[in-house]
Amino acid sequence: MEPRQPAAVTPTVGVALITLAIAALPLLTRDSYYLDVATTILMNLTLTMSFRLQVRTGQINMAHISFMGIGAYTSALLVTRLGLPFWATLWVGALIAALLAVPIGSVALRVSGPYYFLITFAFSEVVRLFFNNFFEDLFGGPSGLVGIPKPGRLLGMTFNSKLALYWLMAAICVVVVVALVRLDYSRFGLTAGAIRQADPVVETLGVNVFQFKLTTFVLGSFVAGLAGVFFAHYRQVLHSSDFGLEPMVLLVVFTVIGGTGSVWGPVIGTIVMTLASELLRELHHYEILVFGAVLILTMLFAPEGLVALPSATRRLLRRLFGRATEPAGARLAP
Amino acid sequence: MLLELRGVSRRFGGLLAVSDLSMAIGAGTIHGLIGPNGAGKSTAFNLITGVIPLTAGEVLFKRERISGLRPSEICRRGIARTFQATALFREYTVLQNVLIGAHLVAARGLGPALFWSRGYRERERRARERGRALLSSLGLGAVAGHVAGQLPHRDQKALALAMALATGAELVILDEPLAGLTDQEKTETTNVLRRLKEQGVTVLLVEHDMKAVMGVCDTVTVLDHGVRIAEGTPREIQANPAVIEAYLGAEEPGA
Amino acid sequence: MSIELLVQALLNGFGLAMVYVLVALGLTLIFSILEIINFAHGEFYMLGGYVTYYVYALFGLNYFATLGLAILTVGLAGVVAERLIFHDLRGKALNAFIVSLGLLWVMQAGAQLAFGVLDKPVPSAFSGVVRFFGLIMSVERLVVSLSAIVLIVALYLFLRLSRPGRAMRAVAQDPDAAALQGVNIDAVSALGFGVGCALAGGAGGLLAPVFAVSPAMGALPVVKAFIIIIVGGMGSLPGAVLGGLLLGGVEGLGTLFMGSAAVNMLGFVMVIVVLLLRPRGLVGGA
Repeated sequence: MEPRQPAAVTPTVGVALITLAIAALPLLTRDSYYLDVATTILMNLTLTMSFRLQVRTGQINMAHISFMGIGAYTSALLVTRLGLPFWATLWVGALIAALLAVPIGSVALRVSGPYYFLITFAFSEVVRLFFNNFFEDLFGGPSGLVGIPKPGRLLGMTFNSKLALYWLMAAICVVVVVALVRLDYSRFGLTAGAIRQADPVVETLGVNVFQFKLTTFVLGSFVAGLAGVFFAHYRQVLHSSDFGLEPMVLLVVFTVIGGTGSVWGPVIGTIVMTLASELLRELHHYEILVFGAVLILTMLFAPEGLVALPSATRRLLRRLFGRATEPAGARLAP
Repeated sequence: MLLELRGVSRRFGGLLAVSDLSMAIGAGTIHGLIGPNGAGKSTAFNLITGVIPLTAGEVLFKRERISGLRPSEICRRGIARTFQATALFREYTVLQNVLIGAHLVAARGLGPALFWSRGYRERERRARERGRALLSSLGLGAVAGHVAGQLPHRDQKALALAMALATGAELVILDEPLAGLTDQEKTETTNVLRRLKEQGVTVLLVEHDMKAVMGVCDTVTVLDHGVRIAEGTPREIQANPAVIEAYLGAEEPGA
Repeated sequence: MSIELLVQALLNGFGLAMVYVLVALGLTLIFSILEIINFAHGEFYMLGGYVTYYVYALFGLNYFATLGLAILTVGLAGVVAERLIFHDLRGKALNAFIVSLGLLWVMQAGAQLAFGVLDKPVPSAFSGVVRFFGLIMSVERLVVSLSAIVLIVALYLFLRLSRPGRAMRAVAQDPDAAALQGVNIDAVSALGFGVGCALAGGAGGLLAPVFAVSPAMGALPVVKAFIIIIVGGMGSLPGAVLGGLLLGGVEGLGTLFMGSAAVNMLGFVMVIVVLLLRPRGLVGGA
């Protein structure tokens, strides 16, 4: 019967740390490769944070990446076919993703648990197959869509360099992180966690659980759409496999390895795992082998994720050295 | 009449769990719903609170039809409940549990939470105050920071009640509020119920402890096999031959 | 569009569907006993394929004996996996998902390193075709389908009649009640996982001569298995058979009218429709 420990990191400190790290990086290196890795981390972070928002309510939305794709293709087509500026299509792409999230989410949220997982997975495959096989003149078919330009000028600034694009992604990421951290620490986050634990109770306490979950679904999809638009104009090439099972699975891995119990979980998970996969990249098949082994070991020994590493380590040490866990009297009721 | 049931029925496949049930509860009273096991009492609760749909009939609250509405909407109209298997947010602290219930007085929605406006902060502060006051009045003040899943049984039941009260409900529906409590704790709880009544809250409860029910309720409805077999004051019920008949063969009255 | 053409298309679809039903049965068995979804299931299928390649194609043992060996070896591998990795994850679906993903990568990368990336063809033990009622079917496909059906029936009998089988069903229905009645949950979990993987291994052995053996060969069957168990109902064995027949039939007919890309989508569309109208699956409800 212990009182709950206060959170180790307050929201302000955490956000400040992240912003500092992001701002500091270009001071340390201008190397194109490192900037690329960092930009990828920021993009993944935007995706994992918005994914985790939904996970907090208990939804494992395997179609999250599809909304990234919808944002990406929408913006790519609006810019290349209609000549619209990136600065407008950034919002249009995200909005279209959010709009499509309403009917898709309404349908998917009729079920829950493993069924929700499976139906969103089915949706994501349908979307991927759609982009891969239909309207090839629009989406590029199996060969992909090429020739997407970088963002145009804004307020006199150009965005042709890796550094400029890094700053753009950083700006998007920081805004998203601040917003989602705020939400998580607010009543909204509290309600989300309550829904995961016992949603019938939340419903009888006056919260329309369906609407709440749909809100998180649509909000998450909007953010995914934003990331997708950036992705399209950063990589300048789109292929349906960018929005398929493999990248989605990686998002889930980053989030769960980091720890779904805390809003900082995705931060740690994304950074650590992206760096790990870069470091292991040279090993080819061994990379995947080691990655897989790391996954297994982490889940077995630190099931709450890296975020809870201190307590997981303590647990492991206790088990290895066999100390009694608590003094005998602690559990007796007063 | 605060709550009225008219001809309420619920069918599960071939079984009529609740059959043509009509009852009325006056504001500011404590009303008991009793009956042998399987009589349909929990089903009746689920029907009133919108957890399951009616097969026939209607439920009126403050003269407005609530049957067919979502449970969250029914709660917003002023009805809150507890569950038979005490349902709490076990990973959250006691205060956090109560705060979830207090959302109806706090700032709702995405916008305020996102922008953390002054209005949001002010209403959250008031919700916290209200929550703490509620916890104190139910003897939970000292454990506000404790994790709900680790509380002793008595505290868990008190917390469930606090959560329901935090919604500001006019009608509180309690599913076996005395189950698993010692005699001392039962007396404390019935005193709490009387205090609620003084504050103008209406209580509808299901209980198996006959002594307690007869001691605290103003009126009692008796169900057997989904059918209402008697209704009246505790004295009238205790003398009613049909009621005695229903309990012989199921359980002894006066647990 | 003659009736014969339609029935032939259906038959073609059913031919392989029975083998996918085997894979699905293994997956759903594991789900019903351990309450987790094993994403590495396709890798056990792949293992069965490689055992068949090495023992039957290279070593020369009789095909059916090899099949039995594949089933046993992969089943054993499943038991080991459960004991080492999965037994603490009962009911923790999200963590089990990540762990099984890790296992998938380990097994697949391991296979690439051990066996090489290239396809390895496995010669067919049976040749020729069979004709009946104006329909045609290769002997190989016929043997494959019939073997799959035999294994399905064997599984059914095992679960119905044998003690371990009944224990597995008890745990699937209500683990707490089963434990109270003295069932050793740990042993049942290990056995259940083993049997589930054994079924996948057997399926891999059956399809090795049909599709050739490669490290990534498990991907397609496991996707089909998922579609089958969602349509049929997770945790339901008759549902898996029904789901398999439906998928086989729909895809078989589909190839008559649309290109293969669209046929691939059909399975997922079926999943969405089922999840909307009857989320528990056609037979599900456990």
